[in-house]
Amino acid sequence: MGANAVTTVPVYTAGEVLTAADMNITNSGIPVFASTVERDAAFGGTGEKTLAEGQYAYLEDTNATQFYDGASWVSVGTTPGLVYITSATASASAALNINSCFSSTYTNYRIIYNFTASTTLELQMRLRLVTTDYSGTEYTDYGYGMGSGGAFNLQHVNTTQFTIGYVNTTEPIHGSMDIYSPNVAVKTNFSNLSGIAASIYENGRVNTTTQYDGFSLLASTGNITGTVKIYGYSNS
Amino acid sequence: MATQVTEHNSITGETIVRDMTDAELAQYQLDQAEAAKEAEAEAARQAARQAVLDKLGLSADEAAALLG
Repeated sequence: MGANAVTTVPVYTAGEVLTAADMNITNSGIPVFASTVERDAAFGGTGEKTLAEGQYAYLEDTNATQFYDGASWVSVGTTPGLVYITSATASASAALNINSCFSSTYTNYRIIYNFTASTTLELQMRLRLVTTDYSGTEYTDYGYGMGSGGAFNLQHVNTTQFTIGYVNTTEPIHGSMDIYSPNVAVKTNFSNLSGIAASIYENGRVNTTTQYDGFSLLASTGNITGTVKIYGYSNS
Repeated sequence: MATQVTEHNSITGETIVRDMTDAELAQYQLDQAEAAKEAEAEAARQAARQAVLDKLGLSADEAAALLG
Protein backbone atom coordinates (compact mmCIF):
# COMPACT_ATOMS: atom_id res chain seq x y z
CA MET A 1 0.00 0.00 0.00
CA GLY A 2 1.08 3.57 -0.70
CA ALA A 3 1.59 6.27 1.93
CA ASN A 4 -1.93 7.61 1.50
CA ALA A 5 -3.70 4.26 1.53
CA VAL A 6 -6.15 3.58 4.35
CA THR A 7 -7.85 0.46 5.58
CA THR A 8 -10.81 2.09 7.32
CA VAL A 9 -13.13 5.04 6.91
CA PRO A 10 -13.89 5.85 10.54
CA VAL A 11 -16.85 7.51 12.14
CA TYR A 12 -16.47 9.27 15.50
CA THR A 13 -18.81 9.55 18.44
CA ALA A 14 -19.71 12.70 20.32
CA GLY A 15 -17.07 13.60 22.87
CA GLU A 16 -14.50 11.18 21.50
CA VAL A 17 -10.87 12.31 21.80
CA LEU A 18 -9.25 12.20 18.36
CA THR A 19 -5.63 11.18 17.89
CA ALA A 20 -3.25 12.45 15.21
CA ALA A 21 -3.75 9.18 13.35
CA ASP A 22 -7.52 9.72 13.41
CA MET A 23 -7.05 13.20 11.96
CA ASN A 24 -4.64 11.99 9.28
CA ILE A 25 -7.25 9.55 8.03
CA THR A 26 -9.99 12.13 8.24
CA ASN A 27 -7.94 14.72 6.34
CA SER A 28 -6.83 12.38 3.60
CA GLY A 29 -9.57 13.50 1.21
CA ILE A 30 -10.73 10.76 -1.09
CA PRO A 31 -9.65 7.58 0.73
CA VAL A 32 -6.99 5.58 -1.06
CA PHE A 33 -7.18 1.79 -1.06
CA ALA A 34 -4.80 -0.82 -2.37
CA SER A 35 -7.64 -2.56 -4.22
CA THR A 36 -11.38 -3.20 -4.12
CA VAL A 37 -10.79 -5.77 -1.36
CA GLU A 38 -9.46 -3.13 1.07
CA ARG A 39 -12.12 -0.65 -0.13
CA ASP A 40 -14.99 -3.03 0.58
CA ALA A 41 -13.59 -3.96 3.98
CA ALA A 42 -13.24 -0.31 5.03
CA PHE A 43 -16.93 0.48 5.37
CA GLY A 44 -19.64 -0.76 7.65
CA GLY A 45 -17.50 -2.37 10.33
CA THR A 46 -17.28 -1.34 13.94
CA GLY A 47 -16.17 2.30 14.12
CA GLU A 48 -16.43 2.68 10.33
CA LYS A 49 -18.79 4.74 8.20
CA THR A 50 -21.71 3.02 6.62
CA LEU A 51 -21.21 2.98 2.86
CA ALA A 52 -23.67 5.40 1.29
CA GLU A 53 -24.32 7.18 -2.00
CA GLY A 54 -21.72 9.83 -2.84
CA GLN A 55 -18.74 8.11 -1.22
CA TYR A 56 -15.53 8.37 -3.28
CA ALA A 57 -12.55 6.03 -3.34
CA TYR A 58 -9.24 5.77 -5.21
CA LEU A 59 -7.78 2.36 -6.08
CA GLU A 60 -4.03 2.02 -6.33
CA ASP A 61 -3.98 -1.19 -8.34
CA THR A 62 -6.02 0.20 -11.24
CA ASN A 63 -5.38 3.94 -10.76
CA ALA A 64 -9.14 4.43 -10.78
CA THR A 65 -11.26 6.99 -8.99
CA GLN A 66 -14.72 5.69 -8.15
CA PHE A 67 -17.92 6.82 -6.47
CA TYR A 68 -20.66 4.77 -4.87
CA ASP A 69 -24.05 5.40 -6.50
CA GLY A 70 -26.06 3.73 -3.77
CA ALA A 71 -25.91 0.30 -5.35
CA SER A 72 -22.41 -0.16 -6.77
CA TRP A 73 -19.05 1.51 -7.36
CA VAL A 74 -18.81 3.50 -10.60
CA SER A 75 -15.57 4.72 -12.17
CA VAL A 76 -15.23 8.45 -12.61
CA GLY A 77 -14.55 9.76 -16.09
CA THR A 78 -14.97 8.08 -19.42
CA THR A 79 -12.71 6.26 -21.83
CA PRO A 80 -11.45 8.77 -24.43
CA GLY A 81 -13.02 8.42 -27.85
CA LEU A 82 -9.70 8.70 -29.65
CA VAL A 83 -6.63 6.99 -28.23
CA TYR A 84 -3.14 7.87 -29.41
CA ILE A 85 -1.28 4.85 -30.78
CA THR A 86 1.93 6.06 -32.36
CA SER A 87 3.61 8.65 -34.55
CA ALA A 88 6.56 8.62 -36.91
CA THR A 89 8.64 11.10 -38.82
CA ALA A 90 10.29 10.72 -42.22
CA SER A 91 13.07 12.89 -43.54
CA ALA A 92 13.67 12.84 -47.31
CA SER A 93 12.30 9.31 -47.66
CA ALA A 94 10.61 7.69 -50.63
CA ALA A 95 8.28 5.92 -48.20
CA LEU A 96 7.26 5.98 -44.57
CA ASN A 97 6.25 2.51 -43.39
CA ILE A 98 4.20 2.12 -40.22
CA ASN A 99 4.20 -1.43 -38.87
CA SER A 100 1.95 -3.01 -36.22
CA CYS A 101 -0.29 0.02 -35.67
CA PHE A 102 -3.56 -1.80 -36.48
CA SER A 103 -4.72 -4.54 -34.12
CA SER A 104 -7.84 -6.06 -32.63
CA THR A 105 -7.80 -3.38 -29.91
CA TYR A 106 -9.58 -0.91 -32.20
CA THR A 107 -11.81 -1.36 -35.23
CA ASN A 108 -11.42 2.09 -36.80
CA TYR A 109 -8.52 4.53 -36.87
CA ARG A 110 -7.72 8.19 -37.52
CA ILE A 111 -4.50 9.04 -39.36
CA ILE A 112 -3.23 12.63 -39.35
CA TYR A 113 -0.37 13.51 -41.69
CA ASN A 114 1.73 16.52 -42.65
CA PHE A 115 4.46 16.40 -45.30
CA THR A 116 6.61 18.54 -47.50
CA ALA A 117 7.98 17.19 -50.76
CA SER A 118 11.21 17.35 -52.73
CA THR A 119 9.26 17.82 -55.97
CA THR A 120 5.68 17.83 -57.22
CA LEU A 121 4.28 14.43 -56.32
CA GLU A 122 1.30 12.34 -55.38
CA LEU A 123 1.12 11.12 -51.81
CA GLN A 124 0.07 7.49 -52.01
CA MET A 125 -0.79 4.78 -49.53
CA ARG A 126 -0.65 1.01 -49.32
CA LEU A 127 -1.75 -1.34 -46.57
CA ARG A 128 0.84 -3.61 -45.00
CA LEU A 129 0.95 -7.01 -43.37
CA VAL A 130 3.95 -8.28 -41.42
CA THR A 131 6.20 -5.43 -42.62
CA THR A 132 5.35 -5.91 -46.30
CA ASP A 133 3.23 -3.68 -48.54
CA TYR A 134 0.26 -5.22 -50.29
CA SER A 135 0.65 -4.02 -53.88
CA GLY A 136 -2.03 -5.99 -55.69
CA THR A 137 -4.25 -4.15 -58.17
CA GLU A 138 -7.15 -3.93 -55.75
CA TYR A 139 -7.03 -0.35 -54.48
CA THR A 140 -9.87 1.90 -55.61
CA ASP A 141 -10.56 5.50 -54.63
CA TYR A 142 -13.06 8.06 -55.85
CA GLY A 143 -13.35 11.69 -54.95
CA TYR A 144 -13.26 15.32 -55.88
CA GLY A 145 -10.51 17.87 -55.89
CA MET A 146 -10.00 21.58 -56.36
CA GLY A 147 -6.71 23.16 -57.25
CA SER A 148 -5.30 26.20 -59.01
CA GLY A 149 -6.43 24.67 -62.32
CA GLY A 150 -10.02 24.26 -61.13
CA ALA A 151 -12.12 21.31 -60.05
CA PHE A 152 -11.28 17.76 -61.01
CA ASN A 153 -12.42 14.23 -60.33
CA LEU A 154 -10.36 11.52 -58.67
CA GLN A 155 -10.96 8.05 -59.97
CA HIS A 156 -8.42 5.30 -59.47
CA VAL A 157 -9.92 1.88 -60.05
CA ASN A 158 -8.10 -1.34 -59.21
CA THR A 159 -4.71 0.28 -58.96
CA THR A 160 -1.76 -0.79 -56.82
CA GLN A 161 -2.15 1.99 -54.22
CA PHE A 162 -4.45 4.72 -52.97
CA THR A 163 -3.78 8.29 -54.04
CA ILE A 164 -4.48 10.43 -50.98
CA GLY A 165 -3.17 13.84 -51.96
CA TYR A 166 -0.94 16.15 -53.94
CA VAL A 167 2.05 18.11 -52.73
CA ASN A 168 4.75 20.25 -54.25
CA THR A 169 7.85 22.07 -53.11
CA THR A 170 5.96 25.18 -51.99
CA GLU A 171 2.65 23.73 -50.79
CA PRO A 172 2.95 21.13 -48.03
CA ILE A 173 0.19 18.60 -47.59
CA HIS A 174 -1.83 18.08 -44.46
CA GLY A 175 -4.54 15.50 -44.20
CA SER A 176 -6.86 13.48 -42.05
CA MET A 177 -7.99 9.95 -42.86
CA ASP A 178 -10.47 7.68 -41.15
CA ILE A 179 -9.71 4.06 -42.00
CA TYR A 180 -12.31 1.45 -41.24
CA SER A 181 -11.65 -2.14 -40.13
CA PRO A 182 -8.11 -2.55 -41.46
CA ASN A 183 -7.45 -5.38 -38.98
CA VAL A 184 -10.83 -7.07 -39.42
CA ALA A 185 -11.45 -9.78 -42.02
CA VAL A 186 -13.60 -7.50 -44.18
CA LYS A 187 -12.69 -5.09 -46.97
CA THR A 188 -10.90 -2.03 -45.62
CA ASN A 189 -12.48 1.33 -46.47
CA PHE A 190 -11.35 4.88 -45.87
CA SER A 191 -12.45 8.51 -46.03
CA ASN A 192 -9.78 11.13 -46.57
CA LEU A 193 -9.47 14.92 -46.63
CA SER A 194 -6.23 16.57 -47.68
CA GLY A 195 -4.83 19.85 -48.99
CA ILE A 196 -3.54 22.39 -49.93
CA ALA A 197 -1.70 22.06 -53.28
CA ALA A 198 -5.02 20.52 -54.20
CA SER A 199 -7.91 20.15 -51.81
CA ILE A 200 -9.17 16.57 -51.88
CA TYR A 201 -12.21 14.75 -50.57
CA GLU A 202 -12.32 11.06 -51.34
CA ASN A 203 -13.39 7.60 -50.27
CA GLY A 204 -11.83 4.28 -51.14
CA ARG A 205 -11.44 0.63 -50.37
CA VAL A 206 -9.11 -2.24 -50.94
CA ASN A 207 -10.85 -5.25 -52.43
CA THR A 208 -9.38 -7.83 -50.05
CA THR A 209 -10.45 -9.12 -46.64
CA THR A 210 -6.89 -9.37 -45.33
CA GLN A 211 -6.36 -8.29 -41.71
CA TYR A 212 -3.70 -5.65 -42.28
CA ASP A 213 -1.50 -4.47 -39.40
CA GLY A 214 0.13 -1.40 -40.92
CA PHE A 215 0.39 0.95 -43.85
CA SER A 216 2.90 2.87 -45.89
CA LEU A 217 2.83 6.40 -47.21
CA LEU A 218 4.61 6.67 -50.53
CA ALA A 219 6.01 9.47 -52.65
CA SER A 220 5.04 8.84 -56.28
CA THR A 221 8.42 10.34 -57.16
CA GLY A 222 11.14 12.10 -55.17
CA ASN A 223 10.70 12.00 -51.42
CA ILE A 224 8.71 13.29 -48.49
CA THR A 225 9.55 14.85 -45.14
CA GLY A 226 7.06 15.04 -42.31
CA THR A 227 5.05 13.30 -39.64
CA VAL A 228 2.13 10.92 -39.35
CA LYS A 229 0.13 10.26 -36.17
CA ILE A 230 -2.21 7.33 -35.65
CA TYR A 231 -5.12 7.14 -33.23
CA GLY A 232 -7.62 4.38 -32.51
CA TYR A 233 -11.35 4.96 -32.07
CA SER A 234 -12.56 3.42 -28.83
CA ASN A 235 -15.08 0.67 -29.45
CA SER A 236 -17.19 1.62 -26.44
CA MET B 1 22.36 7.49 -53.39
CA ALA B 2 20.09 4.47 -52.87
CA THR B 3 16.39 5.15 -52.47
CA GLN B 4 15.61 5.19 -48.77
CA VAL B 5 12.56 4.36 -46.71
CA THR B 6 11.70 5.16 -43.12
CA GLU B 7 10.25 2.27 -41.16
CA HIS B 8 8.47 2.61 -37.83
CA ASN B 9 7.57 -0.16 -35.39
CA SER B 10 4.47 0.93 -33.48
CA ILE B 11 5.02 -1.61 -30.71
CA THR B 12 8.61 -0.74 -29.83
CA GLY B 13 8.49 2.87 -31.03
CA GLU B 14 11.69 2.28 -32.99
CA THR B 15 12.17 4.12 -36.29
CA ILE B 16 14.92 3.25 -38.74
CA VAL B 17 16.00 4.63 -42.09
CA ARG B 18 17.22 2.04 -44.56
CA ASP B 19 17.77 1.42 -48.24
CA MET B 20 14.91 -0.19 -50.14
CA THR B 21 15.07 -3.96 -50.37
CA ASP B 22 15.35 -5.48 -53.84
CA ALA B 23 11.64 -6.30 -53.82
CA GLU B 24 10.69 -2.78 -52.73
CA LEU B 25 12.99 -1.25 -55.33
CA ALA B 26 11.45 -3.44 -58.05
CA GLN B 27 7.95 -2.29 -57.01
CA TYR B 28 9.12 1.32 -56.82
CA GLN B 29 10.48 1.11 -60.37
CA LEU B 30 7.21 -0.45 -61.53
CA ASP B 31 5.30 2.38 -59.87
CA GLN B 32 7.53 4.97 -61.53
CA ALA B 33 7.03 3.38 -64.94
CA GLU B 34 3.27 3.25 -64.40
CA ALA B 35 3.21 6.91 -63.32
CA ALA B 36 5.22 7.90 -66.40
CA LYS B 37 2.80 5.98 -68.61
CA GLU B 38 -0.17 7.72 -67.02
CA ALA B 39 1.48 11.12 -67.41
CA GLU B 40 2.10 10.39 -71.09
CA ALA B 41 -1.50 9.30 -71.58
CA GLU B 42 -2.75 12.45 -69.86
CA ALA B 43 -0.48 14.64 -72.01
CA ALA B 44 -1.80 12.88 -75.11
CA ARG B 45 -5.40 13.49 -73.97
CA GLN B 46 -4.65 17.16 -73.42
CA ALA B 47 -2.93 17.47 -76.81
CA ALA B 48 -5.89 15.82 -78.58
CA ARG B 49 -8.27 18.14 -76.76
CA GLN B 50 -6.22 21.19 -77.73
CA ALA B 51 -6.10 20.02 -81.35
CA VAL B 52 -9.90 19.92 -81.46
CA LEU B 53 -10.12 23.36 -79.88
CA ASP B 54 -7.60 24.73 -82.38
CA LYS B 55 -9.60 23.25 -85.23
CA LEU B 56 -12.72 24.97 -83.90
CA GLY B 57 -10.86 28.19 -83.17
CA LEU B 58 -11.96 28.15 -79.53
CA SER B 59 -10.02 28.91 -76.39
CA ALA B 60 -10.24 26.53 -73.41
CA ASP B 61 -12.41 29.08 -71.55
CA GLU B 62 -14.75 29.41 -74.50
CA ALA B 63 -15.04 25.63 -74.75
CA ALA B 64 -15.78 25.40 -71.02
CA ALA B 65 -18.45 28.10 -71.34
CA LEU B 66 -19.96 26.26 -74.29
CA LEU B 67 -20.09 22.93 -72.47
CA GLY B 68 -20.85 24.52 -69.08
